[in-house]
Amino acid sequence: MPKFVLMLPHAPDRYENLSEADFMEVMTDYIGWVEQMSAEGKYLSGEKLNADPGRIVTNKTGSIEVHDGPFTEVAEILGGYMVIEAKDYDDAVEIARAHPHMKHNQTIIIRQTDPAADD
Amino acid sequence: MDDAARIHKLLDETVRRERGWLISSLVARLGPAQVDLAQDVAQDAIVKALSTWPYKGIPDNPRAWLRRVAGNAAIDRIRRSARELGIEDNWQFTAPDDDIITPSLSDPELDLMVLCCAPDLTPDDQLILALKTVCGFTAVETGALLFLSEDALSQRLARAKRKLRAQSGDLARYPTRFALKERLPQILRIIYLMFSWGYLPRRGKEPVREDLCREAIRLSEGLMAHSIDTTPGHHALHALLLFQTARLPARFDQDGQLLTLEYQDRTCWNRDMISEAFEQLEAAQSSPALTRYHFEAGIASMHARASTWRATDWTSISRLYELLERHVQSPAISVNHAVSLIMQARLDEAQARLAAIDPKVAGSMTGWHLANSRLATARGDQDLARTALEAAQRCMNSVAVADHIHRQYKQIERPA
Repeated sequence: MPKFVLMLPHAPDRYENLSEADFMEVMTDYIGWVEQMSAEGKYLSGEKLNADPGRIVTNKTGSIEVHDGPFTEVAEILGGYMVIEAKDYDDAVEIARAHPHMKHNQTIIIRQTDPAADD
Repeated sequence: MDDAARIHKLLDETVRRERGWLISSLVARLGPAQVDLAQDVAQDAIVKALSTWPYKGIPDNPRAWLRRVAGNAAIDRIRRSARELGIEDNWQFTAPDDDIITPSLSDPELDLMVLCCAPDLTPDDQLILALKTVCGFTAVETGALLFLSEDALSQRLARAKRKLRAQSGDLARYPTRFALKERLPQILRIIYLMFSWGYLPRRGKEPVREDLCREAIRLSEGLMAHSIDTTPGHHALHALLLFQTARLPARFDQDGQLLTLEYQDRTCWNRDMISEAFEQLEAAQSSPALTRYHFEAGIASMHARASTWRATDWTSISRLYELLERHVQSPAISVNHAVSLIMQARLDEAQARLAAIDPKVAGSMTGWHLANSRLATARGDQDLARTALEAAQRCMNSVAVADHIHRQYKQIERPA
């Protein structure tokens, strides 16, 4: 079965100043989704990313330089990613449609992994 | 119950239950002076759980997960700021992954509850402290339960915490062993209020917080296990909790609408629990000293015996309310007393009772307005009955109660 990565961006201040009850409400939707997908055997893995700027390592100038990631300027930051199984892009899009991220945020970026990379 | 509701319930219960447990365990390890740190650490662990579980799913053992995360966070916090926190320099862990939360403590929540009941705190301050730290109540919930504004509540909470921090020595380390007996009445009161909130939350979508009810029963059982002689008052309280919990399965119809005692299908009551409650009530008769719980459990037992609302022994219930009011005066008790009088058509007496309640308190009590409405209906005054229901609608109500009032309102509107 082909694998797809769902990338879940959100506004940098999306979860600031949210009451615990509201936060729990939102997270419950996500947790319910991941539980359901896992039960159907379609959820493979996922990672939440820390909400910090991260680092960028570059050798564009000829030597290695390390910068803080762009954070303040961006409209959205990547909250995390999830790896799922789906038949094809159409199927993956259908899954993304029902994703709670579409209810609580705005965008899901879907990329298929190259099956040749699988053993 | 669908999956989303099931998960929501699981999270809600895990969070509430674990918050109290984490705080209690941390205070047990770090001492009562660190109650603020304990609260922060517990909160951080909960937020961490809620933000990572969406990616990982709920761990097989969510409680163990929370305990591990909170334990590590506490170690971290203490290492970074031992001096600032006023913790002695020699306070250290033998290994980095040493679990801060010792499983050997039989019941840290009970310990913290005993600590919160320090005699130099006023009873209400003890209560506020216990509800906020042990029972995981929010400031809004605690305020509503005690008819206090949020400002007043936070002032009293700060004062209570200062005193809690001052407790030290063996008492602070092993409170249940040293102070259980003298503090028992206060502890029983906290369990009682915790149960009351679970039984009829004053706000929110959950019509009943069964987890709080169960937690209150669990704490009460834990207390019994700790005491050599359970007092008659404690047996009576336990009987009361069981009588009330036995009725929970009948409190809502298929649509989730609240059904008051009057409209419940009594065949749904948990008969095993009721027999257990009668046993506790029996055990409560072992001494002539009677507590408020004796009368309240007595009233509940009258309802448990009755086959219908109308067939209830209202005369005995009114009598029990009279006795109860010699022990404790509360607006809620007066209201229920008045209802039992209305059921016997003793309307003038009922009216006098309702009128005697401090109007400042009565005005914000849903039950008072509902009783007035019942009284007006008994007198055939539909306009007044409607006005009273409208006032009830303006009080702070859970969704289920608001629906219940709304249905009553519609019943009156329809001409008979």
